[in-house]
Amino acid sequence: MNKSISAAKKLTGALAIPVIFAAVLLILCAANGKSMIANRTGFNYFVLYTAIVMLTTMALSINLNSGRFDFSLGSMAVLASVLSSRISYAMLQGGPGSAAAMLLLGILIGALLGLASGALYVTLRIPPIIASLGVTLIFEGLTFTLTGGKYVMTEVRNASISAFAGNWIWSLLVIAAALFIVIWLFDHTKFGYDYNALKNGQKVAVNTGVREVPNALVCYAICGALMGAVGFLQVARSNSINGGSLNFASISIMFTAFLPMFIGGYIGRYVNEKAGYLLAALCMSMLNSTFAAFSNEVSASAQSIINAVLLVLFLIWLSNERRLKQILRPIRS
Amino acid sequence: MDSKTALLKKYKRRQRLVTVLPFVALAVLFAVLCLTVQAKGYRLPMYLKILLNEGVVLAIVATGATFIYTLGSFDISLGASTLFSATVGVMVYNATGNFGLMLLAIFGVAIGCSLLSSVLASVFHIPVFVTTVAMMSVLSAVAAQIITANGGALGGISIPAEVVRPFDVMWFKILVLTVFFAVCMFLFDYTKLGRRQKFLGGNPVCAKLTGIDLNKYAILAFIMAGIGVGIGAFLTLVYTPSVTTGTAGSIGMNILVAIVFGGMPISGGPRSKIYAAVVGGFSYIILNNILKILIDSNAGYGISQIVSAVFFLAVVYVTGMNYRSQLLPR
Amino acid sequence: MKKYLAMILAMVMVLALAACGSAAPAASEQAPAGDSGKTVKIGVLVADVSGEEALGFANYYRNYIQSNYNVEFSYTEQLADAAAEKAAIEKFAAQGYDAIISFSASDRATQLQTCIDNGLYYAVASGMLDDAQYEQFKTSEYFVGQIGPSMDTEYEAGYAMGKYFADQGAKKIAMYGAFIPNPMHVFRAAGVLAGIGATYGGASEKDAIVGQIFADQGIDLKKVESKDVELAGYFQGFGDTTFDELFACIGAQPDAFLSVGMATTFFTQNLNDAGIAFSDIDSFTSANGEAMADGKLVYLAGKYSSSIGPVFAAVLNAVNGTPVRDDEGNAISLSQDYLVATDADSFQKYAAADQGDSPIFSKEVLDTIIGDVSYADFSAAVAADRG
Repeated sequence: MNKSISAAKKLTGALAIPVIFAAVLLILCAANGKSMIANRTGFNYFVLYTAIVMLTTMALSINLNSGRFDFSLGSMAVLASVLSSRISYAMLQGGPGSAAAMLLLGILIGALLGLASGALYVTLRIPPIIASLGVTLIFEGLTFTLTGGKYVMTEVRNASISAFAGNWIWSLLVIAAALFIVIWLFDHTKFGYDYNALKNGQKVAVNTGVREVPNALVCYAICGALMGAVGFLQVARSNSINGGSLNFASISIMFTAFLPMFIGGYIGRYVNEKAGYLLAALCMSMLNSTFAAFSNEVSASAQSIINAVLLVLFLIWLSNERRLKQILRPIRS
Repeated sequence: MDSKTALLKKYKRRQRLVTVLPFVALAVLFAVLCLTVQAKGYRLPMYLKILLNEGVVLAIVATGATFIYTLGSFDISLGASTLFSATVGVMVYNATGNFGLMLLAIFGVAIGCSLLSSVLASVFHIPVFVTTVAMMSVLSAVAAQIITANGGALGGISIPAEVVRPFDVMWFKILVLTVFFAVCMFLFDYTKLGRRQKFLGGNPVCAKLTGIDLNKYAILAFIMAGIGVGIGAFLTLVYTPSVTTGTAGSIGMNILVAIVFGGMPISGGPRSKIYAAVVGGFSYIILNNILKILIDSNAGYGISQIVSAVFFLAVVYVTGMNYRSQLLPR
Repeated sequence: MKKYLAMILAMVMVLALAACGSAAPAASEQAPAGDSGKTVKIGVLVADVSGEEALGFANYYRNYIQSNYNVEFSYTEQLADAAAEKAAIEKFAAQGYDAIISFSASDRATQLQTCIDNGLYYAVASGMLDDAQYEQFKTSEYFVGQIGPSMDTEYEAGYAMGKYFADQGAKKIAMYGAFIPNPMHVFRAAGVLAGIGATYGGASEKDAIVGQIFADQGIDLKKVESKDVELAGYFQGFGDTTFDELFACIGAQPDAFLSVGMATTFFTQNLNDAGIAFSDIDSFTSANGEAMADGKLVYLAGKYSSSIGPVFAAVLNAVNGTPVRDDEGNAISLSQDYLVATDADSFQKYAAADQGDSPIFSKEVLDTIIGDVSYADFSAAVAADRG
């Protein structure tokens, strides 16, 4: 009995935020005669965007939860996509299988870039935030040098990548595969146990024999692999890669993952945290589609402000939950 | 005992190296720049003037921000805050034609924005960094809205150049930098404000137990940063009397680079140094200029950024070598 | 120790900087530029390093002009703001450059003033100064002039594009406003609205429409009224919602998708896949040629890479001491029209005429306007249709 109540509570807790998001946004759309997702194509891109946000949030949280701040995620995604698009184009000239080849190469190259970033951190033993500043500049510089600052277009415009973006099933498969692999790695392997031990008590874990350096390297490689996949998904979404980003222009992708990370963390109290990131990404995707539906009324500047205010309000709730509940208790009773 | 003494000597030797390295790096970079400019036949006096113009805003804003970083906090919104302050300053001047009111608006907005971040963080217990990320988005968006709505076909807003031209001279900028640095150095090294901030940054629990109020010192740190932003916004207008959506865009991240380049740990605490921002800021600007002179091509901008990053990492590595532990730093 | 070190170093630098502060050479101290045999050095200010048009311009100067004239070009990195523009000009001055050609528009008045202060010739190759700024600087000997599409030309380009689709019988269109409130895009978008016969907020005149678009920061569909052509969808910018907005527009099944810039870079694939005819104001690149031959690009108003040849000629004349001025001694102010292709053949005509080694403004053509040339001859050469 208790178990079933507990499961119901978990389900309610996990779905509360996505349901509130969906209800508010759908009512808002309906009241103004708009639809959040207009057609099948809109739905394809809705799922694709969900995948991008979920993977980015996972990549950000893996290191951030361990106290390692990583500015280089965006530059990693862009460099991985430039390299993977070039190689896959050289192999297949944009023919059938280009999307699969680019995705797999993107993941592989991303993992190698992540590993390189991690190797720099563990070798130099400088604070990860500082190491990531240097790595961001290096990856941006490499991307600029490889592309000459131009947009990459020919290599990423083909029927195969269009077909990927044109069917939401593919994006869903990426979400499912990423979720399965990340849950398995972090919750069901020795690496994951070590990761959690280090996350919750670095000194104790190291003193009890957990090998921190290999664990950190694998974390960076996983983040890189996830961002390699994000690089491909961004290409599928926008059909081009901007090779001209310098001077930290690539870091903005990280900021978009903060709100879903905190929402995912909250949902993670009730279900697996990674599933929480998926639900949070779903919320972000709904918000994004609503912004698109209201683009004529809500400018890009206003969207930035709404996102920032939502982030602050959610954090105020999160950080003052107990106090707010205490204040609300007499009103409820 | 002997081995302990030897270890202590080694530590002290390294400590000296760590302390002087940022200065040595700055001096070497300065010398290399002078030699490169001379060798290329360029005009050195003009180059030095350019360096000062490029570095002075960064050095001042970053010096103010040092108070925040000393607490172990982090503010990424200072670039956006500089843009917003300058934008409001221009709007106020254009509405009133009063230079004094413009200055008042610039400093009021700069300090106000900084305080808002601080109050949000301390009253609502939100992580400072996330608060400043949100502030960055809001300030940039509002400034962009004001600039584009009022800029029209010019794409930006501006005040008459004559208003600020008298201040666009070297001695004035050097004077402002020197006075602000001296005030900050006094507060940081010779008053309890600086000492307590270092204590709070190094060991907040211990500091709190000794009765130091974190919120009070966080608010004071943000006020100092706000003053830096205000001066930075004014000097930005002095250099170019116009504001576009891209104004001061790179300052936010460059502050971080400058402070670390100057030999200060990002975690703040007792090893924080007030001179780090000035030394690091000018070093970074000089390094970038050397690379752009030496690598002169379109693709070269990518290569010079890579070389600059490698040099940055090398300096950070050496300045941190006395503080390595068995555990990986976080 | 560290404090003394800091102070000593700071003092050395401050003294060095202070000593140098007043030592910047005045314009008159510079060696006369443009002597025969002396390489003329021109700095180029750019705000875009990635776009096809910008790359085409850069190739023309670097590869064609540099190999045919005793001239050296140096390009800046992507300049983000007015301070970066001013610093770039000062660096060119410190490096002994003779002139500046500007494609960057954060603060043109400050650019020009900085060039005057440093004795550098200055010309605008993209966009134009506003009337008040031109009046302020037109008599300065260092202001060579401005040659490129004026804001009126931008409006006309948008108008012609809108009218083309209205004349073709389009009943429902969607529109991409690119980077409004970028002034160039605002004027083009206003032109499109007028071209399809629409009013905006009740206004049908250029200035009134433009003013409202600036005030609205975009186009508010509720303010668009048109008898014959419905504007079924509109979006602008490039961010997280862009493709959702694009697909909402595609979902409205418009007869045509009209863009005032960058659509060929961002949306060619999607519009081709959706089978929607589209147009853009861009440049004559090979990718756009493919989109016109095999895709759904049906209208392209564009610049060709060598259209910036006359600006170079004007700058070279000024540096060589034979500046081109109008009858009243003012700086050049000439607007260049866009070329328009509506099918693969017309596209190829312009593209073929402007190949890398045989551009429209070739050495033979430029030589006719380099040297002692009258304003009338110069402007006639710029206006001649060489497509």
